[in-house]
Amino acid sequence: MEWIIAKWQVLSSLSPFLLDGFLNTFEVSMFAIILGSILGAVLGILDTLNYRILGIIINTYLHIFRGTPYLVQLYVIYFVLPSTEISWLQFDSYSAAIISLSVYTGSYVTAIVSSAILSVPKGQEEAARSCGMSKFQALYYIVIPQAIKLTIPAMANIYVTVIKCTAILSVIGLTELTRQGETAILRMPSDTIFIYFLIAILYFAYCYPVLRFANWAEKRLKS
Amino acid sequence: MNLFIDYFNFRIVSEYTGMFIDGIISTVWISLICLVLSLFFGVFVALMRMSSIGIVWRIASSYIEFIRATPLLIQIYIIYYGLPELIGNVFNELQTGIIALTIHTTPYMAEIIRSGIVSVPRSQNEAAMAVGMNKIQTMYFIILPQAIAKLISPLLGQSIVLLKDTSLLSIIAVFELMGVGLKMFSDTVIATESYMTTAFCYLIIYLMMLILSGYIQRYLGGNTHNQAH
Repeated sequence: MEWIIAKWQVLSSLSPFLLDGFLNTFEVSMFAIILGSILGAVLGILDTLNYRILGIIINTYLHIFRGTPYLVQLYVIYFVLPSTEISWLQFDSYSAAIISLSVYTGSYVTAIVSSAILSVPKGQEEAARSCGMSKFQALYYIVIPQAIKLTIPAMANIYVTVIKCTAILSVIGLTELTRQGETAILRMPSDTIFIYFLIAILYFAYCYPVLRFANWAEKRLKS
Repeated sequence: MNLFIDYFNFRIVSEYTGMFIDGIISTVWISLICLVLSLFFGVFVALMRMSSIGIVWRIASSYIEFIRATPLLIQIYIIYYGLPELIGNVFNELQTGIIALTIHTTPYMAEIIRSGIVSVPRSQNEAAMAVGMNKIQTMYFIILPQAIAKLISPLLGQSIVLLKDTSLLSIIAVFELMGVGLKMFSDTVIATESYMTTAFCYLIIYLMMLILSGYIQRYLGGNTHNQAH
């Protein structure tokens, strides 16, 4: 009983900080998801247009950002780019976080979008073209509406990955959920594990609905 | 030449070449050990998840969902601080890191293995039962060999993710590639060389994995469309 009361006191004194951190995490992840999805959708569509040089550039981008850990990318964007002394590359931690996370998200979304567009049967585009639609119209009215449905489960899974990646942002001092927890632990070192479990539960509350949605969408797509 | 050195100083990097090679080797070792362990436990978790006994599959399912919905960093912290309180200081950082990564990767492996097992047609199971095999024999001789061929490319994709995840172990002071980059930065205070070299080393490992996975897929000839990347 005393244990519960002690933990309740810890919980009630920390909850404003943790909620504040949670809101920051939510904000950063939303920015990254929106910007990354736009970037990925544009690059994914460009990738399917079969321009040789463009394809090579997009593929290089994909392999570079999927072949290195997010932690390394974050360090490169936060420490290396500002050391070039170009004025618009001087990031503070907040913009470095959003830029690196968006580019990272974009690399995954690009692959999803281009493979979804390629999996729409070729006959659909040919039929649209033979009705007199231009290449752009065929893409916009015929192919993309069919492709979007296919991307939903994979996109939801990537969004969960991105939300989890925001925990890494604590290493550059952004005051998101993990960082707020670490600050709280400095104040109450005896409750380290309890606080980490609280953080884990908050992340779980954020990610689990998205994961369930991904499962649900995948099942609906199959049937 | 001097102009180039302004942007990337090869002389300083060359002093650290040995350390970076050691870092690459230990990163590959850590991920290999975690891969083997998580595949081993993943089979069990997958079988538990498919069990018809309520409590067994509920335990497996909640383990899978909890790990998949929380960040690896938090899991590493919980194990790093929690394990010594539970059993005392038995493990050093490296072993703690390997335990944390294995606990993190096992559910992903279990889900991949489960989807492979589910994808084997039901009639195979029934045919095996009809010739008098028991459940374990059916699993071992009939289902798993067919499932594994379909599993190869998602498993390779997951191993690449595992390889990248080892970089987070640098936060609990495990010696691996990212740790070498951080050490070089703290020694020399030049960000460009330390972090770009680290990124370059990860890219080398990644490209080798890509070539290897292409070779394995051609060798097995199973999956024609590439899911590994």
